[in-house]
Amino acid sequence: MGRYHLPCVSPYLYIHSREKKIDRDMGTDSIVFHGTLQQLLEKVETGELIPRLQASHAPMCKFFTAYYVISGIRHVVPLVHGPTGCPLYVSDFVRTRECCEIRGVPLEPTACTSLDESHVIYGGEGKLLEAVKEAYTKYHPDLIVILSCCCSGIIGDDVESIAREAEKLVGCRVLALRSEGFGGDFRSGYEDAFKLIMELMEPPREKRRRTVNILGARWGPTTTEFNMDLDEIERLLGEVGIKINAVIAGGCTVEEIRRAREVELNASWCYDWGQKLGDLMEERFGIPYSKTGQPYGLEATREWLLGVAKPLGMEKEALEVIERETHEVEPHLAYLKKALEGKTAIIEITEFPGPIRALSLARMVEEFGAYPVVINVHPYTIKERMPSIKFLLETGVNPEIILTKGLFRLGSFRSSKETEDELEEIVREYDDVIFFGNAARYPPCPVVNLSLMNPAFQPQYGFGGIKNIAALVRQALENRNLPRSRLLRGMLYGSRR
Amino acid sequence: MEAGDSEIPAQEAANLEKCTDPYLRCAFNGAAQTALGVSGSALLAHSPQGCEYLVNNAFAWQECDYMETITLCTKLCEDEIVHGGEDLLARTIREVKGLPITALFILSACGPEIVGDDIVAVCETVQPEVKFRLIPIECAGFRGSQYEGIDIALEVILKRLIKKEGEKVPRSVCLIAPHANANPTWMADLDWVKQILSQMGVRVVATLTHKTPLAEIENVSSAETSLLLSHDAGQRAVDYLASEYGIEQICRGIPLPIGMTNTGRWLTELGSRFDHEREAGKMVSDGERMVMATCRRKWPMARFFYRTPTAIVADATVGIPLLRFVTEDMEMTPELVALYSAQRQVRELLEGELKDLGLNPKIVYGTDVYKTRRSLGEVRPRVVFGSTIERHASEGFGVAYVVELVRMMRQFRFINREYFGYTGILNLFEAVQNEWTIRWRSKEKRYEAKW
Repeated sequence: MGRYHLPCVSPYLYIHSREKKIDRDMGTDSIVFHGTLQQLLEKVETGELIPRLQASHAPMCKFFTAYYVISGIRHVVPLVHGPTGCPLYVSDFVRTRECCEIRGVPLEPTACTSLDESHVIYGGEGKLLEAVKEAYTKYHPDLIVILSCCCSGIIGDDVESIAREAEKLVGCRVLALRSEGFGGDFRSGYEDAFKLIMELMEPPREKRRRTVNILGARWGPTTTEFNMDLDEIERLLGEVGIKINAVIAGGCTVEEIRRAREVELNASWCYDWGQKLGDLMEERFGIPYSKTGQPYGLEATREWLLGVAKPLGMEKEALEVIERETHEVEPHLAYLKKALEGKTAIIEITEFPGPIRALSLARMVEEFGAYPVVINVHPYTIKERMPSIKFLLETGVNPEIILTKGLFRLGSFRSSKETEDELEEIVREYDDVIFFGNAARYPPCPVVNLSLMNPAFQPQYGFGGIKNIAALVRQALENRNLPRSRLLRGMLYGSRR
Repeated sequence: MEAGDSEIPAQEAANLEKCTDPYLRCAFNGAAQTALGVSGSALLAHSPQGCEYLVNNAFAWQECDYMETITLCTKLCEDEIVHGGEDLLARTIREVKGLPITALFILSACGPEIVGDDIVAVCETVQPEVKFRLIPIECAGFRGSQYEGIDIALEVILKRLIKKEGEKVPRSVCLIAPHANANPTWMADLDWVKQILSQMGVRVVATLTHKTPLAEIENVSSAETSLLLSHDAGQRAVDYLASEYGIEQICRGIPLPIGMTNTGRWLTELGSRFDHEREAGKMVSDGERMVMATCRRKWPMARFFYRTPTAIVADATVGIPLLRFVTEDMEMTPELVALYSAQRQVRELLEGELKDLGLNPKIVYGTDVYKTRRSLGEVRPRVVFGSTIERHASEGFGVAYVVELVRMMRQFRFINREYFGYTGILNLFEAVQNEWTIRWRSKEKRYEAKW
């Protein structure tokens, strides 16, 4: 991209002058893309913006993400058909550290067939069949899910046939999921696991009125995703009088999944993660899926709640709840409008990086009168979330996007010095800026710390979220002149001395 | 009888079980731990992207700094599994040829090894095009546990990097496998060993591996002796050094220095080999006096555990020496010893210690989470020395304290703490003290205050 070259034409007329100024002042060497979400999507779709550096950032593999979903079902044995390395990361990190330590989940097994060289040569199907029987005897689970890994996938072990055969020999359902790490991107693991879960859903014995499933959760029971957002959603549904059959798969039971088709509607805590399962259940079982974005801010929360309540014929009740809750957060809404009006909100999500949250925040700040600029959403993640991004575009979310060179740097996400420098440069090019991201960044402007790792300001969804985000904005603006930590900055990016 | 009991050879025992819930990671992870201990290098995982997370884990285990060490991945997909990934590997190496490093370790995972990618040949082909050394390590996860991976990587490193004609440095030592130690801050154990050797005037020629420059590895053959700092891995490297370069292993067959007796015995052995018996004797008496005086001032709660039934669930490196510490220094009664490892030398060492101490606890070699939980349910100890997993695995069995010494799931130590040596004893007492405090802290109030 040449100097002063505008990579694309923006639908926002006023973007032009900003683009020119930023591209000129920063030097286009640092800017890889500057335009709208729509334009970025086009470049990703045509393959123009997919990073070509093989050695650059590596997200999780299909196996990991499949495990994340399956581990969210109670009393399941995820039976990993592979060597011991594959289950160890997930069982240490997801099971013990996240589920047992902070989600109140009892220790449940993550079993493994521990394939070795001889199995690689002679095949592991026999051992797998025995392992299923042994797993049933040892753990008495409600469900066994065989997860294949690179090894078992390459040597051609037929995990589905073994699952069918094994199911006849044990007292619970046995399912198999082809989740070889090389077999797809990280998103495919989530989606295939959700799809597999559908096999457990039985024809409805009754239609349960005013009852929904929440789709798209993973990593075991609440709280999911490190925060209390799911609790807030459940609270709001409860206020309206809507019952939840199952949070799939966030601590649901096999019985709840069996009865998942009895609900009137599916909803999701995040449109993106629930979308695949929601669409499939709609297509196959005729259960409507409430398509709404993440409930950040008043408008999106209202939309989310009405999106669930209306199809259930509970619009009136929902509006009452919305009115009551809105009244309660009125001072916070007024503060947010006053604080953000006319500002440029630069949004960057580096923690568990994904574009959906950044885009939801863009929508929220616009609601409060700020102009959103989203930086460094990785094109890789855009590619994987194409249907959700398209949905957001349809709803009018199309903010200005800047991608910098540091995003495509060699190596892993740990090394973020370059993007930090670029962020600081970008912020200098705008007037009256406020940064929505996390405190690991040091731009020369107020920083709203949206870290999901700080329970002091959770939830961020819904009406509870409005209070917390208002508090975070207040902290950022009122304390903008307090010194930032030289120590923590040095830790993250190295000492400047 | 537990599968894995002493009458059954380890491999056979492992084969008896079809379904395990393992503690140990795979060979790929162990090799990554070892390679990342070489400073000034980078690591390229020739693997699908998920294996990069095993590298990340190894990165943390070696306390690498992301400002200094870079890890890379070829991110193999279906295409490379079907058509082979050698071209992609070569291209990726070329892509990173500008890195300011002295060596690039290329580690192959299960996928590329099964499809037959020849990483050694790729490295030979590309080597002339890059300024740094290319060191291929074939360490697919299916080759064994993380300990096997450490052995594989050490073997490659020694065979490829040692300069043959090393002149012997008098009173010198090569330290082997300090990272095959489940103390989450094992670097402190290594530091303690180095400090002791320095006090005895012994020069450390190389550490295999932790922050080890390539130049140190090249000079390993100049070491007079080797000192293995793990009971779980590294013996193969020690044997290789002995047979190829006549490097004598010292402190062989005795437990590592955890607790009063083990530390004393280990220091005495070291002093004897390097003609420093008097200094070693003084270290022992000064160290023991320091521990006793400190305890006299701090009053450790460890003194209240007299004859309390105890379980040890750990690697052999910490678990075997801990047995004597728990029995002698804390006067507890070990009723279960469950070790992650099951090698012959581990069995021999543990059985020797049990005989010497006159103990007859339940023993589980090569334990997994299932066997641990079942054994805890059977033995019903009151105290468990183990990891975060045992905190959850012992639920419902009336275990009063779980002292987390190994494999903690969260980093709560910012200062590295050794278990070796005399300060190590105090660190262990502190761990017990903290657990005791948490256990006895009121969880709820009986009534509300007025103000």
